[in-house]
Amino acid sequence: MDQSFELPDSTDWLETPLSLLAPFESSLRCQVCKDFFDNPVITSCSHTFCSLCIRRCLSAEGKCPACRSSDQELKLRRNWAVQELVDAFKLARPSVLDLARRKNVRLARGEEETEEPAQKKRKVQQVEEEELQVPETSSQGRRTRSQRSINSSVVERTVPQIMPEVIEDSQDDEEYMPGDGLVACPICFRKMKEEAVFPHLNVHQQEEELPRKTPTKPASFGSLKGTSQRDLPLPGKQPERLPAINYSILKDNSLRKKLRDLGIPDWGQKQLLQRRHTEWMNLWNANCDSKSPKSKRILLQELDVWERTQGGHAAAPSAFTTSNNVMRKDFDANEWSNNHDDDFKRLIANARKKSEVQVRSTIPGASSSSSPHQEGTGLPVNGARVELNPDTDDHHVVDLSG
Amino acid sequence: MFATKRLSKMQEHVPPGITIVKCDNLEEWQMDIKILDQNPLYLDQTYRLKFTFSNKYPIEPPEVQFIQCPASTGTPRTIPMHPHIYSNGIICLDLLGSAGWSPVQTVESVCMSLQSMLTANNRNERPPGDQEFIATNRRRIRDINFIYEDDNV
Repeated sequence: MDQSFELPDSTDWLETPLSLLAPFESSLRCQVCKDFFDNPVITSCSHTFCSLCIRRCLSAEGKCPACRSSDQELKLRRNWAVQELVDAFKLARPSVLDLARRKNVRLARGEEETEEPAQKKRKVQQVEEEELQVPETSSQGRRTRSQRSINSSVVERTVPQIMPEVIEDSQDDEEYMPGDGLVACPICFRKMKEEAVFPHLNVHQQEEELPRKTPTKPASFGSLKGTSQRDLPLPGKQPERLPAINYSILKDNSLRKKLRDLGIPDWGQKQLLQRRHTEWMNLWNANCDSKSPKSKRILLQELDVWERTQGGHAAAPSAFTTSNNVMRKDFDANEWSNNHDDDFKRLIANARKKSEVQVRSTIPGASSSSSPHQEGTGLPVNGARVELNPDTDDHHVVDLSG
Repeated sequence: MFATKRLSKMQEHVPPGITIVKCDNLEEWQMDIKILDQNPLYLDQTYRLKFTFSNKYPIEPPEVQFIQCPASTGTPRTIPMHPHIYSNGIICLDLLGSAGWSPVQTVESVCMSLQSMLTANNRNERPPGDQEFIATNRRRIRDINFIYEDDNV
């Protein structure tokens, strides 16, 4: 993996005068995926995680990853306040970090603000170019095609465009004394103290979100009311959410049919069907927690990514993972032996050939003994097993045959 | 894909006594750890840890073990003496098993747990049945059913 690109991280603040923002930023990040909260939900033990992260954890273990107390997916509740904090912080982050870094450069050089304005402007633009790439690289992860990341990267792209003007402002404006600590809001250009910019940005964020929120909220309440009056067994639950399935009471075929009805792939053995259904349920229900849910087509693409990395199409990229799979609890020995049947046969044939050669070479010496024939017939079988080992250079194959 | 981002974190800001040796892919990492206090068992020693990640990390724990490096590599590394560390480097620590693991753990937190596990130790010995274990164990680390009977680690 290429590690040369820069990932936004809470440690970015440590070298700046705003190093106290590092713990602040890490508290806005999910403890499981270490990224900013994405559709944060709160557990019954009051820990907050990304909806998808905690759903995956709970479906694997049924415990809160932070405190290990048992919890259920059904009890997760959205944490809008945290979502708003994260959105606001993400919006403000590039400009605040940039400001902090520039301050750092200035402090290191002992420069006055009025010196070399032209050169500084160029530097700032370079920094911004770097940061422009950051949201793009980081969005190549889970949310690559999501509506939200497109939205946010658009926002992030527009902010730096405004930025250079801001700097020109503060530098050209000679009414302000250099180093008086007043900076301009990147959105409305109002001058204020440096520490006031951050809370001020939240005001803009809220203004921006108000029109968006008003249409969605009544709509979801409306649909909720409508269905709960009809047939929704659990009030307060989103109607579109997928219920968990007790896999043990379902036969393979009915599970397969369920998957088909959901519109997701229905091939593979029951174990795989279960895992695929669980992943789909997690993706789907996490999407229900989103302010701007993705389309089913995008979720299907995400399921396909899962299929290729962890599901039925998960390739074994190296000998290491192959042996790992073999040793897994849920390893499907039948499927494995079907897939590798030819290999086994070829290896056995090779081994037989070799042992036949051995037998022939030993027969001249053994020909004087009274029972060469018996030894000759007995050997290929034994020999096959012995020869199998070095040929396969993988002891797991032997484990399997035993 | 799920693991990509968090594995590429922590490039520069690692806790004291911990250094990244090798992290060029998302399957295997190597870390060096030092014991920072004056414990005579581990004084001035550096130990090498190997982390092996499955594609279900962090839902599933990574496999973590100490590895040996011969002096010819320029960085000689031995397996630390500890009543829960077998001489082949396999570590018996509950947070590395599927029961004790939690997805909030990170490479740093595991390294720090191991540092404190070594710091707190004053017994210069291997686990009981060490020779037998290393001679017979062919299982993957995650499949070994350790019994975590000792809480004083």
